Amino acid sequence: MNWLMNALSSSVGRKFVMALTGLFLCLFLVIHLAGNLLLYVGPETYGNYAHALHEQKAFLLLSQVLLYSAFLLHIFLAFRLTASNVTARFVSYRKKASKRDDRVVASVVAPEAWMFRSGAIVLLFLIVHLTDFKFEFGWGEVLAGQTPYGKAGVILRDFGRAIIYALGSVALGVHVSHGLASAFQSLGVSHPKYNGCVKWSSVAFGWIVAVGFASFPVIWALTAAPPSQTQPATHAQPASQVQPDAPHTHALPI
Amino acid sequence: MSTATEHQNLDARVPDGPIDQKWTRCKNEMKLVSPNNKRKYDIIVVGTGLAGASAAASLGELGYNVKAFCYQDSPRRAHSIAAQGGINAAKNYPNDGDSVWRLFYDTVKGGDFRARESNVYRLAEVSGNIIDQCVAQGVPFAREYGGTLANRTFGGAQVSRTFYCRGQTGQQLLLGAYSALMRQVAAGKVELFPRREMLDLVVVEGNARGIVCRNMVTGEIETHAAHAVLLCTGGYGNAYYLSTNAKGCNVTAAWRCHKRGAYFANPCYTQIHPTCIPVKGAYQSKLTLMSESLRNDGRVWVPKDVNDSRPPSEIPEEDRDYYLERRYPAFGNMVPRDVASRAAKERCDAGFGVGETGLAVYLDFKLAIAEQGRDAIEAKYGNLFHMYKKITDEDPYQVPMRIYPAVHYAMGGLWVDYHLESTVPGLFVLGEANFSDHGANRLGASALMQGLADGYFVAPYTVGHHLASRSLSSVTTAHPKFKEIAVEARNRIERLLSVNGNRTTDDIHRQLGQIMWDNCGMARNAQGLAAAIEQIRNLRDEFWQNVKILGTGEELNQSLEHAGRLADFLEFGELLAQDALHREESCGGHFREEHQTEDNEARRDDEHFCYAAAWEFQGDDTDEKLHKEPLRFNEVELTTRSYK
Amino acid sequence: MTNPAKKRLSLHLRIWRQSRTDEAGEFRDYQLQDISPDMSFLEMLDILNQQLIEQGEAPVAFDHDCREGICGTCGMMINGQAHGPDHETTTCQLHMRHFNDGDTIIIEPWRARAFPVLRDLIVNRSAFDRIIQAGGYVSIKTGQAPEGNANLIPQQHQEGSLDAAACIGCGACVAACKNASAMLFTAAKVSHFVQLPQGAPERTKRVLAMINQHDEEGFGACTNTSECEAACPAAVSVSHIARLNREYLKAMLTATD
Repeated sequence: MNWLMNALSSSVGRKFVMALTGLFLCLFLVIHLAGNLLLYVGPETYGNYAHALHEQKAFLLLSQVLLYSAFLLHIFLAFRLTASNVTARFVSYRKKASKRDDRVVASVVAPEAWMFRSGAIVLLFLIVHLTDFKFEFGWGEVLAGQTPYGKAGVILRDFGRAIIYALGSVALGVHVSHGLASAFQSLGVSHPKYNGCVKWSSVAFGWIVAVGFASFPVIWALTAAPPSQTQPATHAQPASQVQPDAPHTHALPI
Repeated sequence: MSTATEHQNLDARVPDGPIDQKWTRCKNEMKLVSPNNKRKYDIIVVGTGLAGASAAASLGELGYNVKAFCYQDSPRRAHSIAAQGGINAAKNYPNDGDSVWRLFYDTVKGGDFRARESNVYRLAEVSGNIIDQCVAQGVPFAREYGGTLANRTFGGAQVSRTFYCRGQTGQQLLLGAYSALMRQVAAGKVELFPRREMLDLVVVEGNARGIVCRNMVTGEIETHAAHAVLLCTGGYGNAYYLSTNAKGCNVTAAWRCHKRGAYFANPCYTQIHPTCIPVKGAYQSKLTLMSESLRNDGRVWVPKDVNDSRPPSEIPEEDRDYYLERRYPAFGNMVPRDVASRAAKERCDAGFGVGETGLAVYLDFKLAIAEQGRDAIEAKYGNLFHMYKKITDEDPYQVPMRIYPAVHYAMGGLWVDYHLESTVPGLFVLGEANFSDHGANRLGASALMQGLADGYFVAPYTVGHHLASRSLSSVTTAHPKFKEIAVEARNRIERLLSVNGNRTTDDIHRQLGQIMWDNCGMARNAQGLAAAIEQIRNLRDEFWQNVKILGTGEELNQSLEHAGRLADFLEFGELLAQDALHREESCGGHFREEHQTEDNEARRDDEHFCYAAAWEFQGDDTDEKLHKEPLRFNEVELTTRSYK
Repeated sequence: MTNPAKKRLSLHLRIWRQSRTDEAGEFRDYQLQDISPDMSFLEMLDILNQQLIEQGEAPVAFDHDCREGICGTCGMMINGQAHGPDHETTTCQLHMRHFNDGDTIIIEPWRARAFPVLRDLIVNRSAFDRIIQAGGYVSIKTGQAPEGNANLIPQQHQEGSLDAAACIGCGACVAACKNASAMLFTAAKVSHFVQLPQGAPERTKRVLAMINQHDEEGFGACTNTSECEAACPAAVSVSHIARLNREYLKAMLTATD
């Protein structure tokens, strides 16, 4: 397996790992967002979903191992790559300007120029997110005995948390808006016929992720009551795992 | 001035026998170096253009130890890279009747019967192998839809034999040779010395045994010993300051070898290319060529009235003088380069020139666009039109291009025999640096062919013969001759730096260029040439008394590099003028006003001047000695070129 | 951007000056008057150098040779852009009409660890040669070549190959990349050969060796910002980098040695 490690530790090999882990994490984002959208359906549906998910113990374990490995690899390589990329320049320019004329935004704020920084923001947000929902650290007794739905409500109605979650979601959106298309390019999936579509989809995905995830803290913070009580829940899609009479647990979806 | 003229037969070592057997016979008769012995020989290759890179790579593959030198930062940058049009080869793929003999004939005729028949025939003979070799290296030549190699037509031929890669054939061929060279570098058979300027040749016991060069980064004077030296250093067009050559192109290596005993042949044969972007102002540093192919569809004209200052679009048809079509109805705008250049000069000298300087003529695509449509013209010449617009800020789809001739190629060069060996044994000269294949005028798409023929298919054989047939004593850089010449080189640099005058090298070079262009350009006469010799001598004195070079010799010093090259141009320029003065005839790129027909066409003098003029250096203040190599035409008949 | 009035320009230049690799450099300011908008950028620097020599100050060293945009020798950062503001252009083909009277122009050398500064604006790009030495060739000796038409090559493949082979090796891709990555340069050579049958026998070895050398030289990794493509005077596309990535993936999984 030495050959594999050698190949994967080259500048191109590392990008493969970044791309594969990135794509896997994007897949997770899709599932996570779909699950979270059940918050808009109502406490019961969301609770059922959470419960059903936690019934699948083997699946959960496997996906958590994969997920954490992907996260760690992605983060580790991000540091490694960034460190070597910074060294490769050695002396920075007095002035630097883009020559791309297809830019929608200025190069300094373009997502690709911010991958490491947006990634770092996401990492910080992730730590907060895990301490809140997974480890329930720092909340004292407030979260005890809450349903998953209730727990989300408590955390998101905290003003500071709402801001962190909203910003974290936007950073995540910015990150994946370049990351998704970039992963395709890194894996060599490129063809003039489809490149436009991939790029456009990547940006669209970034918006969906940013708006989708940021909607929860924003709406929860702006409304005294959860939105599901003020609007009918007819538009939400039923999840296959939903089991109507399952008891609520305090565990949350991954 | 008086020129010592002597008739002495130079032995060109041309094998006997029918012309199509000569090269085979030569190869059969040459001595070989056995495979195990090849690694005992060191070979120096100076210059890494098509000729140098191909020779260095091929010799490395054979097993010799090669050292390759170039002044650029990488071998890939040699000026062969700038060739646009293509490379000729007698493949007869289009089935239009081409053959080795026809390519040979066209080249001899195109050269106005001033080239050595046997060399040209060999060039045509190996031309097909060049294409095969380049294809095998991965040169992406243009292809037909069916996947076969494509050809296009080029000037001076009635068949389609030019292979091409869009407008960047030279680049692709050079990258092919460069990649072969890099492969040998990786294999340890070629050692690369970029950013080195060859300053002198070291001759020991009559044989070329090494070079002295300057490391252009550190300033260190280095010596390198070898069993043979190959000079592949290109042409001398920059003697005119403004030319289509790269800024760094120079005559120094060739001139230094000349001063060590290599004869310089036909320096007066310079090619002035008719379609270049005209000079804009005094700041101009370089001229840019627009491919000859533009004349396929563009019509050349000037106003009929000397005082007509209207913009071209407002000048009606009846007030335009399409002078090429008027003078040469049979060939019209497609006359050969030398004829087109002279005709443009004639009109401008008579005051009909256009543009701010009056030194330009129009190349008009209006009719072609009207007849074929803008899209068709764009498909053919889009990149050239784009380049023109980039440089001039004028849109050639709307207004006619302005063009003027510019110095382009040196047919003359160091004299070589059939083995491409100079008059200094062990010193071989390849590509544009030698004089052998193009006579007095080179046809389009033939320079690339010659460079690669010499490097891939001639030198690897003939250099081996030199090594196997001569007993060469063991010489290292410890030999006193190396020390002596290195000291001379260092002293010369010190001398340059110590002048500390008032004029920059650029300033003096421009003045030399003006003298050369005015007197040794498209039309020459005895009076002007004599005056030029005088002026060059004065300028040379001025240079050594008044040049200003800052800095030291022990650092990267571009002014010093330029000064060294300019010093040699100032000596070489005089020889060019002298050669032009002695050649009392008009042929190819050499047009003497005294020798023209009633209707201003070139008049060749085969009775008195059917020879290659090889000049021998006799000392700094002594006239050069002329040797004549008679040119015998057994295969082709000497005829007068006519394009009427 | 174009200066329409063809007004002669007064310029303020801020140029990086460094006498040798191991010495510290600095920016120095120069004033130039009466510059014609028809001048090329390098001709403008020629004029500056004439003035500097006359004043007894060392002229600005910069690499240049063909001055027609094909040899790849010239190159500098002009106001933060590799080869300046014009697209598909080398510095030698950039003309002063792209600037305005009174402009300040900041001129810096290519900056990359793998391209050490030799003097002023001149850098050492021999790392590129070593990347080619690692595998940027077809192993064919002179004289071994089969007939030129022995391999039929679809026009589309030949054209695609030429798109990549058009690279002039100037280093603008490295200069423009925020990671100083030479991936576009390396990809251009890999893509040139991989689209031709002649390149097939060594495709596996080539891509692995060239990437290995690329990394050893100290170039950064590609993060797909496409800045290289925008700066490339030969219009080499980042799609060649995708092709390189594909080749590498294939080679990584199938290489037997």
